[in-house]
Amino acid sequence: MKRKGRENVYLPLSADVEEVIPLTPETSLFRVRPEAAIEYSPGQFFMVSLWGAGEVPISVASLGGGDGPLELCIRRAGLVTGALHGLEAGDTVWLRGPYGNGFPLDLSRGRDVVVVAGGIGMAPLRPLILWFLENPGAAGRVTLLYGAKRPEEIVFREEMDGWRERGVDVLLTVDTPAKGWEGRTGLVTALWQDVRSDLQKAVAYICGPDVMIRAAMGELFLLGMPEERIITTLEAHMKCGVGKCGHCYAGPRYICTDGPVFSYREIRSHSHFLTG
Amino acid sequence: MTVCPYCGCGCGLYLHVEDGRITGTSPSRSHPVNRGSLCVKGWNAHEFVTHPDRLKTPLIREGRGLRRATWDEALSLTAARLAEIRAEHGPDSIGVLSSAKCTNEENFLMMKFARAVLGTNNIDHCARLCHSSTVGGLAAAFGSGAMTNSISEIADASLLFVIGSNTTEQHPMIAMHMLEAVDRGATLIVADPRRTQIAEFAHIHLRHRSGTDVALLMGIMHVIVSEGLVDADFVRRRTENFDPFAEELRRYPPRVVEGITGVRADDVRRVARMYAMEKRSMLFYAMGITQHVTGVDNVRACANLVMLSGHIGLPMSGINPLRGQNNVQGACDMGALPNVYSGYQRVSDPRARRKFERAWRRRLPADPGLTIMEMMDAALSGSLRAMYIMGENPLMSDPDLNHVREAMERLDFLVVQDIFPNETAEIADVVLPAASFAEKEGTFTNTERRVQLLGRAVGPVGESMPDGDIICALSERMGYGMSYRGAYEVMEEIALLTPSYGGILHHRLSEGFGLQWPCPDGGHPGTPYLHRKKFAKGLGTFITVDFLPPDEPPDEAYPFLLTTGRICFHYHTGTMCRRTAVLEREEPECLAEINPADAERLSIRKGSRVRVSSRRGAIELKADVTERTPEGTIFIPFHYAEAAANILTNPATDPGAKIPEYKVCAVRVERVER
Amino acid sequence: MRNEWILDKNHLSYWLRQLRKERELVGPLLNGGKDIVFRTVEQIHEIVLDLPASLPSPKEFLLPQYEPMLRLDIPGGEPGVHYRAQPVSPDACVKGSRAGRVYDLAERRRRIVFGVRPCDVSAVRLLDRFFLEGYRDPYYEQRRMNTLMVTIACNNPDPTCFCIGLGTGPYLDGGFDIQLTDLGNRYFVQAASAEGVRTVKATSFLFRRPGKADHDDQYEVILSAKARFRKRISLESPRGMILAGRIKDDFWQRVAARCFECGGCVYECPLCTCFTVTDRRYHGGIERARLWDTCLFKGFTRMAGGVLPNEKRMLRTKRWYYHKLIHYPEVLGGFGCVGCGRCTLTCPGKIDMAAIATAMKGLDLDGATAVVGKGRQVGIGEVMRRPKPEETGAGPEGEG
Repeated sequence: MKRKGRENVYLPLSADVEEVIPLTPETSLFRVRPEAAIEYSPGQFFMVSLWGAGEVPISVASLGGGDGPLELCIRRAGLVTGALHGLEAGDTVWLRGPYGNGFPLDLSRGRDVVVVAGGIGMAPLRPLILWFLENPGAAGRVTLLYGAKRPEEIVFREEMDGWRERGVDVLLTVDTPAKGWEGRTGLVTALWQDVRSDLQKAVAYICGPDVMIRAAMGELFLLGMPEERIITTLEAHMKCGVGKCGHCYAGPRYICTDGPVFSYREIRSHSHFLTG
Repeated sequence: MTVCPYCGCGCGLYLHVEDGRITGTSPSRSHPVNRGSLCVKGWNAHEFVTHPDRLKTPLIREGRGLRRATWDEALSLTAARLAEIRAEHGPDSIGVLSSAKCTNEENFLMMKFARAVLGTNNIDHCARLCHSSTVGGLAAAFGSGAMTNSISEIADASLLFVIGSNTTEQHPMIAMHMLEAVDRGATLIVADPRRTQIAEFAHIHLRHRSGTDVALLMGIMHVIVSEGLVDADFVRRRTENFDPFAEELRRYPPRVVEGITGVRADDVRRVARMYAMEKRSMLFYAMGITQHVTGVDNVRACANLVMLSGHIGLPMSGINPLRGQNNVQGACDMGALPNVYSGYQRVSDPRARRKFERAWRRRLPADPGLTIMEMMDAALSGSLRAMYIMGENPLMSDPDLNHVREAMERLDFLVVQDIFPNETAEIADVVLPAASFAEKEGTFTNTERRVQLLGRAVGPVGESMPDGDIICALSERMGYGMSYRGAYEVMEEIALLTPSYGGILHHRLSEGFGLQWPCPDGGHPGTPYLHRKKFAKGLGTFITVDFLPPDEPPDEAYPFLLTTGRICFHYHTGTMCRRTAVLEREEPECLAEINPADAERLSIRKGSRVRVSSRRGAIELKADVTERTPEGTIFIPFHYAEAAANILTNPATDPGAKIPEYKVCAVRVERVER
Repeated sequence: MRNEWILDKNHLSYWLRQLRKERELVGPLLNGGKDIVFRTVEQIHEIVLDLPASLPSPKEFLLPQYEPMLRLDIPGGEPGVHYRAQPVSPDACVKGSRAGRVYDLAERRRRIVFGVRPCDVSAVRLLDRFFLEGYRDPYYEQRRMNTLMVTIACNNPDPTCFCIGLGTGPYLDGGFDIQLTDLGNRYFVQAASAEGVRTVKATSFLFRRPGKADHDDQYEVILSAKARFRKRISLESPRGMILAGRIKDDFWQRVAARCFECGGCVYECPLCTCFTVTDRRYHGGIERARLWDTCLFKGFTRMAGGVLPNEKRMLRTKRWYYHKLIHYPEVLGGFGCVGCGRCTLTCPGKIDMAAIATAMKGLDLDGATAVVGKGRQVGIGEVMRRPKPEETGAGPEGEG
């Protein structure tokens, strides 16, 4: 979305909700069509709002380009996301963005890629995979390691079958298996040996719960992956998305404007990024 | 300048206005209480004023809901219904709750309305629930139930004994002075079962069992007497009834006290010596002392302690009940109580009554009226038919809410007058919209007896009116003219009829930072500390007290002790603070504090959902596992309607003060699987 | 020609009256004989000229504590009666497309703030970079563009002031709109911004050019003011100690123990800008407003789902000081502190910037634990010396 310099950056654009697709009991995919076409890239996010409830940062789950709808994967986690879950087709949401740096896409050119996702952390990584699928020269072998708590909490499961058919190595694991689960059980970080790429030469894109991100980045680093090729996207409390409200500030960086995508190198040099 | 509408500290603050709209708050730099500081609630005091939920028009019940109405409609209906009920069932079938959040002038008018217009002494307010034990206990001992020192004296004290007060969270600006005293070398002793922030600064923290305050204090006094640390001269010249009291003390040697309270005998001795030996010792207490079935005894024990060591009647020496609400001191002073007129002049005293009758040109009832808790019982039994509630929310604040709801639903007619529609308004027949502290004139009296003028920053929102104007309008319609040109004229009437407020007039308050009562005449500079050469009643009286256990101690069926209180970011029933974005964001949900040892036993983790139940009801909420709360105890703040702690609390009251025992009841805790 | 003039004090009120024709005039007024606060001036003679150094900051005029941003019109829509205070009520959200226009509520009033302190002007220069670089903040921008600040240099620094160690006062060489220096019977007037110069020139008949005596007097006044500072604090040394890893978490633990979580330091700080956003449903519309927030509160960084990354108070206290001492210089090229001393005035726990810097200096000189100063400044040092309180009672070891 191009904005003129003088325009109010806090002014949201309305978007029609075309479809709400439940993915898990707590997560739905919202297909929305903004009143004007917006360009965005994988790893960026929008400030999504419902008047009366407030705004929240949501990363894009669709690849963009073309004339498809904008897709937002939203988990019911608080007041605003709870209210958003009350929406159905025909309702209106409001958007500002896209914001943030997005994933460094040229990093993977000529390299194998490992995408590591946990839970709803799949959402920002989905457009990345779609990008690799649509641009065959953009990366070598693509492996997706995806972990969820329970089988019913796996998002985009059917879509993953399609990815598999198109050449992506998809490895799924759950913490707590249910009846009929035939995949793996355990942490996503236990799957390194199943990756058919040379990790030392690959690029990793990671998103998921804080603990998982930390574990995955640390382990990949120990396995010899250079820290500037271990990429993650961070989540934070945000109110503006444009580096003013102060909520997401971590060390000298703002997650909204300097991120949300960071390399392990950047994160390691600033201990403030990951807390807890 | 105006005065903060939250707690009894009475901090001076400025409201910022842009385009006729309140946009901010800043502290008064030279105010003697807050000196340029404010707590987080004070800093955000402006925000609720403009909240869209504010009541902007009167509402009248129509079927199951309330509809908007004109003032004329609402006032006519209220006047007619009250008159009907009075005619049919007598004046004492009506009860009035005044408000510690409203101004002195409004409380005085409400008191006048109840007594002169309705003809009943059934008037009470939330002081019943916080410091009625103080009013009763200290009045019996000294003749006056208020903080004896000034807040600005604290920093110069050499010893602070804080019992039953979570000062840093509940009276932050008083805690600021305490911290300064400690920085200057004062000794701080804190007695509280919970490890509060103020306790972290204590030299000694006594974690006695909840409800054993009398035993603890008696033990301390036992040591003072047995080790000859009594201020004998003070006791001889200034007090009476020492001998029978000393006799009673013999039963509380430190060993025995250790058994009851859990505090080591040696520590009882050390505290006794420290307290008695220091020259400038100040004692502070709050709800931890008063909200017990032995609340009055707890207060008496405190009073005995200060007399025993002569730590009263001097600057930096005294007994200091920290009052909760911004104007709870004033509401009491104004006689919003069933047994006294303003200035604690008793309704049963014919001379006082005649004075008020002559001023108001009405016969006034002679028998004391009902307290809040008694009103609820009377409503349940059918003898109370109507209630007029100003600025209170009994359906959140009173103990055993299920019982209160049942009682109030039985009323024939309920009028609620408030700034926000609250839980009580939901069942009212008429709701009257009132103006907030920023939109009216009048005075608040803070915990150190400082009467301060409000500064009106903006006009009332919507059609709302100041509470005082509403009372006057209603009174007119009930055939009793009340017309004042402004709050200052009401204050003139107060001064005329109330000896301790005799010299307190608005024009005097507009310069400086108010006046501390007693201020008997127009030339009097006010009184920073009480009981200088003699007690208000002459001699101070040692009143014998005996330790009694709480009404409902934990047992096998309900093995935990529940204690309730407040947290820093919220205030009482949350009508204002929960409509303030940052405050609500900070503490959006109710948490039950539980000790790690107990939590482990019940496999409760931080954030687990638990069900806490007592003999009266149950609530579900999240757990916070913390060392702050001792083993065997659960702490729940009472701000949250969605997990109202007062569903659980015990309505058993102190026999004298009728204050309920919010601080101790027995509960069961279970983990709930979602 | 340098933009320097002399204004006879007798002409000041006439000058202000001229300025007021174009703008709302805000100035320091004595409120009920109690405090000096910035208010819209009705009577020019009521402006206080003999000012204490520590006036309130003009932040409220550039970033008000509560500032409406946007408004969405909803035809008709009447919010229901909410008997419970709840942050988001179902009927307050607009779901469908019945919504009308969105209005920008940026304040565009032209205003002159008279009596601003040099330290605050120094702060505003950093705020300008913060709000106007990268994405431009339109609300700040509108207010800033429409506000003219007349600075009065500080001849009498307060005991809490330490701008002198930071180069942010008591006099500025530039960066202000207009700076007045009190020379007794006249003001030494300097204008730096284009709007400042224009404003003076528009009323040039009231001013004369300074002579040598005026310059000499001004220099004299500056020298005597500089000699009056009681606090000389450099923030370079605390920054250096932190960067050298010499300040351990137990230091911040002790500092945090005294934090009342009032937010006062942030609210008073002319450089603290964090805000939160809230939606309010009024009759006929929803207002989106921003309001001051502070990183000292744990909910400030609460993540979706309720995780609190900074639940420990120590982390938050540390974060605030790190932001001011370490990160602000990296991002904006200056400390996040201008030495105004307002946190010293407001902090109930006395863990303000000056106290922290002083305590660290004590550590530096004394090795381990140090007692600092006397009276109001004792604060931290005392606490650092004191052992944990003794506890007794029905705790874990008791029978209860």
